[in-house]
Amino acid sequence: MSWYDNAAAPWNFVSRKLITARMVTMWIWLGLLIIGGLVAALITGAALLLLVPAAALLLGGWGSWLIVRQVTAHAWAEDEEDLLVRRGRMFRSVTVVPYGRMQFVDVKAGPIERALGIAKVQLHTASPGTDASISGVPAAEADRLRDRLTTRGEARLAGL
Amino acid sequence: MNDYVYQAPREWTRLHPVSPLLGGWVFIGLLLAYWVHNQVPAWVDGGDDTFAFFDRFPFLWLVLAALLAFAATIGISIWQWSRTEYRIGDDAVYLRQGIITRQQRQARLDRLQAVDVVQPLLARIFGFAAINVQVAGGQKSGVELKFLRLGDAEALRNEILALAAGVKQEKAAGHDAAPTPDATGAPGVAARGTDATTIANPTTPATDADGTPASSASIRGHLAQRAGALSNPEAVLSGTEQFRTAVAAAEEREVYTVPLKRLLLSILLSGAAITLLTLPFVGLIAFVVFRVDVVAAVTAFIGTSLVAIVTAAAGLLGFFWTRLNGGFGFTAGISADGLRLRHGLTETRRQTVPPGRVQAIRLYQPFLWRGQDWWRITINVAGYGEDQESVSVLHPVATREEAIRAVWLVLPDLGDPDPYGTLGHALHGSGAEGGFTTSPESARRVDPFQWRFRGVRATDRALLIRRGRWERELFVVPHERTQSLGLTQGPIRRALGLADVVVHSTQGPVTPVAAHLAVDDAMALLDAQAARAREGRRRQTPEQWMSAVGLETGAGHE
Repeated sequence: MSWYDNAAAPWNFVSRKLITARMVTMWIWLGLLIIGGLVAALITGAALLLLVPAAALLLGGWGSWLIVRQVTAHAWAEDEEDLLVRRGRMFRSVTVVPYGRMQFVDVKAGPIERALGIAKVQLHTASPGTDASISGVPAAEADRLRDRLTTRGEARLAGL
Repeated sequence: MNDYVYQAPREWTRLHPVSPLLGGWVFIGLLLAYWVHNQVPAWVDGGDDTFAFFDRFPFLWLVLAALLAFAATIGISIWQWSRTEYRIGDDAVYLRQGIITRQQRQARLDRLQAVDVVQPLLARIFGFAAINVQVAGGQKSGVELKFLRLGDAEALRNEILALAAGVKQEKAAGHDAAPTPDATGAPGVAARGTDATTIANPTTPATDADGTPASSASIRGHLAQRAGALSNPEAVLSGTEQFRTAVAAAEEREVYTVPLKRLLLSILLSGAAITLLTLPFVGLIAFVVFRVDVVAAVTAFIGTSLVAIVTAAAGLLGFFWTRLNGGFGFTAGISADGLRLRHGLTETRRQTVPPGRVQAIRLYQPFLWRGQDWWRITINVAGYGEDQESVSVLHPVATREEAIRAVWLVLPDLGDPDPYGTLGHALHGSGAEGGFTTSPESARRVDPFQWRFRGVRATDRALLIRRGRWERELFVVPHERTQSLGLTQGPIRRALGLADVVVHSTQGPVTPVAAHLAVDDAMALLDAQAARAREGRRRQTPEQWMSAVGLETGAGHE
């Protein structure tokens, strides 16, 4: 057993569209940097300025690789009593949140995420340390997940 | 005052009329007045140009302006007071306030986490107090009522706690609470009329409305007891006074107090104090051995970074002050309403934390306290925010014996056949002794000193996490209070086959982490702990702690 694998419930991996969403966000900023660097290099004629787009490209390549690795590792599982969220490859973590501890559930989607039809579901407990957010859940599934979590949370509601 | 019995208001009621005068600004005003008074001779002489600006105006104008400012301050305070009203219901404490933006807030009693009676210096001098009702539900969700007469505040607190405990519900269910001696004739009727746990007091119309006139004997008994209480103002001040209040305070048994000598010594043995005390010696050594011109160096240093020095000094003084003020006269007791803590030098605070509201405990022993075997014990209580370090102390400086008793206060049943032995291993042990799961030897690479001292152990009721070689730390988290669990691992730990297990507790000074466990141990702990937390939630104390099965309601309130 190399890393935590929950036998009781299958892992649901998040949508691959999350890769697109994160890539778009990252490349918009890097793209601005690359274009800015190229334009500046063309205007001033200073070859050194070409280092900026080159660095941005390198950074983008590394970032893209990270995004693919992270998204493909991000998953959740709905156990009988707990929600499990798994994330990360380099720095990996598993969070176990009992349904009864749930205070409220957020479903969020930015413009890019909405265009791709995915959303972020976040479960809040009374603890600020609980990091139980699932990014890149298909929108319809996100709503169903939220309803499921709420129902289960009410059924098993415990005090603080 | 003799006939006066405070009754927690069911209708919208204002706070005590002196409240606007008890704000902190009075102090500032007094200081300012004192300063002006001191400066007057220089002003009149004209030798001081501090007041050059004012000299341009006629004297009368200045007096008028000062009076106007004073009147405006008082006026606004009074206006604010007149728009602040509160009431209590069976399910919540309500507060509405605000001049321009009106705010209504209700603190639901089923979410009640703690009730504090706070007396800032000025309020304390005149016998007033504020009540803080802490409820679960994020920052600033509690209700603060300031100010009430001290006795009234105590009474309100008792009533809030009785309501939150579910005492009322028990009555409605026809539950016969412990009757008073006079009640033997007609237990059912008299219990409602005389039992101190009932919300209605025999001297108020509420009882008559029941159509059950209280027996005159019981009234006489009450009056005699009240007379006794009034002739004993000490009891009022120490919060043990029972009979001016409609609902008597739950009987309290003192568990420990902190002697002033130990508190002072503990402050002296802090890192900050040692640093402060050794500075002159460092200077002396520098002067004698290295022939450094210390005075010149210090002057130069002060000249360049005065701001930094002042900030550091203020921080140090603040640290000493917080420790002294928070730990002064620290007393802990146990009552049917839960944990009672009393402390404070200038500002006194009486905290009541109902059973099952403590989310996590941390016992910490700085290196300098090892000789004495002293521990500082802090707790997480939902509703008390992160910044309120002073309200989260369970014991500012405990001996080992007291530390174990403090844990017992929160967790009467540790779920272990040998709690003393287990806590002993948790506080001082190393290695696997006492059933602890320790870090594997590979942890030595990242944790050379304390890997042997790290340990985790679960009893039937709580998880114990210990760490530290020179300074010691122990976390105790009741299983039913675990919010969620985390398992984390970075690249280095992965290479060494280690992982951390994090127990998420509510916001507060206690953040329990079991670091550097072997991966297999960590994963097993995660699973086991999730199961234990599940089990714990099933049998946890109900929110209304007095309505728990098997608890004798009323007995503690008598």
